[in-house]
Amino acid sequence: MANPAKIFESIGKRTVAGLDEMGYAAAIFFEAIYWTLAGWRYRQPVRVSATFAAMMQFGVAALPIATLLAATIGLMLAIQSLYSLSIFGAQSYAYFGIAFAVVREFSPMIMGILIAGRSGSAIAARLATMSINQEVDALQVMGINPVRFLVSPVLIALVIVVPCLAMWANLVSLTAAGLYVSAELNQSFGAYVNDTIEVLQTGDVWQGIGKAALFGIIIALVGVVNGSTVQGGAEGVGKVTTRSVVMSISLIIVADMIFGFMTTQ
Amino acid sequence: MTMTDAHLSAEAINQANRPSAAEIASRRKVIEVDSLDWSFGPRQVLFDINLDVREGEIMVIMGGSGSGKTTLLRHLVGLMPPMPGKIKLLGKDMGALSRMQLLELKRRIGVAFQFGALFSSMSVSENVKLPLRELTDLEERTMDIMANMKLEVCNLSGFGHLMPSDLSGGMMKRASIARAIVMDPKLIFLDEPSSGLDPVVSSALDDLILKLRDAMDISVVVVSHDVESAYKIADRITILDKGQILISDRVDAVRNSTNERVQNLLHRRSEQAEIDPTEYLRRLAGD
Ligand SMILES: Nc1ncnc2c1ncn2[C@@H]1O[C@H](COP(=O)(O)OP(=O)(O)OP(=O)(O)O)[C@@H](O)[C@H]1O
Ligand SMILES: [Mg+2]
Repeated sequence: MANPAKIFESIGKRTVAGLDEMGYAAAIFFEAIYWTLAGWRYRQPVRVSATFAAMMQFGVAALPIATLLAATIGLMLAIQSLYSLSIFGAQSYAYFGIAFAVVREFSPMIMGILIAGRSGSAIAARLATMSINQEVDALQVMGINPVRFLVSPVLIALVIVVPCLAMWANLVSLTAAGLYVSAELNQSFGAYVNDTIEVLQTGDVWQGIGKAALFGIIIALVGVVNGSTVQGGAEGVGKVTTRSVVMSISLIIVADMIFGFMTTQ
Repeated sequence: MTMTDAHLSAEAINQANRPSAAEIASRRKVIEVDSLDWSFGPRQVLFDINLDVREGEIMVIMGGSGSGKTTLLRHLVGLMPPMPGKIKLLGKDMGALSRMQLLELKRRIGVAFQFGALFSSMSVSENVKLPLRELTDLEERTMDIMANMKLEVCNLSGFGHLMPSDLSGGMMKRASIARAIVMDPKLIFLDEPSSGLDPVVSSALDDLILKLRDAMDISVVVVSHDVESAYKIADRITILDKGQILISDRVDAVRNSTNERVQNLLHRRSEQAEIDPTEYLRRLAGD
């Protein structure tokens, strides 16, 4: 039998470690913003080229898989909506549920999870490898701020890219759902588009976009914090990479819930 | 001529070139360490370190494994939390500088890490150019010229296009030295330059270090395990033992020291015999 006192001790230690990590993440976040705004004063601006490179890597390169996922989600939602609404004979209202679900929930969440898996792991692995090779120390002794050089471009790129992907996913999902629904109900696709546009408010779209930006921040910070606190060689890199993916996906889902709860009150 | 002969003669040449004690003492201090203590948690690893390095001097820091060499070096290059009044580099108290002043200071020192710490995603010449690219407004062509010059000094001309993973151990060290000197620093730090290299390659590296000091008038701090290399390049040697400075003096003085621990370290004698049995048992018991 485990000693209950020990269990509490270990919970306590983990809580403290968790708070520590959150504090560290917050410090990195503010430092990254600081350097983005004030870097030019130290003659060390955040490089536009590095930011663009990160955007290409995180966003543009993810477009094919993002498109595939978005289309699949759209179809899936269409199928489920038609099925459940057919119980009440209300299939013609399918666009209602689909539009809200896609724009407010599915696009940001699916894109967040996709990028967490695809890029969060890459960010953590890159930073961990660099820490172990003392590349981060090397930056520091050269007088190149590592947060400015390594973190700011990634953070900016993700805050831009995840919302863009979510917008794109909106378009693809709604189109895929629309094609399916209009074929099933023998309606014109144009009518579906009109209905959808009519029911969607700007606020709904913004809510999705805002969430996506928040997910971008989560992915960047979780990747950076895990990567830079790596310990123990190559094995450590694998560990923090996995940890960072699991952690950012969990945080995205929890944040999504909190966000949804607060904005529907 | 055998290798040892070449080695000895190079050592002799450097000895002849070595500035005299009086001459060195008259020079400006580029590093001043004033009773520095440091602990990792409850464990103290540096005790009352007092040290100075003069302009144009090569100081070799030696000591057994775990004696605190790397920790001291990390303090000197600003990788540890700043502590006012403890360490002065180039006349500036590192613990009392603003962020901006610290960045300025770091531009004037160079560091080559034990395993190179080259950026694995960049070619050798991109690595060497990085400080120029990030910290100056020079044009691409000027940066190319400067980087190539430094690569040439380090006998790496023509290898700039290689990726770090394609370099041999000796080339890796030289590339990291090229990067450390690209901003024309007054002071460079080298961590274990000869570790993991064969004697010929490591002797070539010693020559490079001497060349840097003589041609560019750089002060050099070297952390090393290699006694031969220390004799060859050092003006002064500092020996750390369990976090304390055992001796810090000119090469011949260190060499001829009658201190038994110094001689043990220089001749790599094990200190097993010295260990007090009760002390040993206490350590086994883990306190
Ligand atoms: N980050 C750290 N946390 C805790 N203890 C540390 C840390 N870094 C070093 N130490 C301890 O401090 C002591 C001095 O270590 P240091 O790395 O400075 O020795 P060293 O002289 O460089 O040894 P080596 O020749 O093996 O590189 C060692 O006992 C080491 O265990
Ligand atoms: Mg060491």
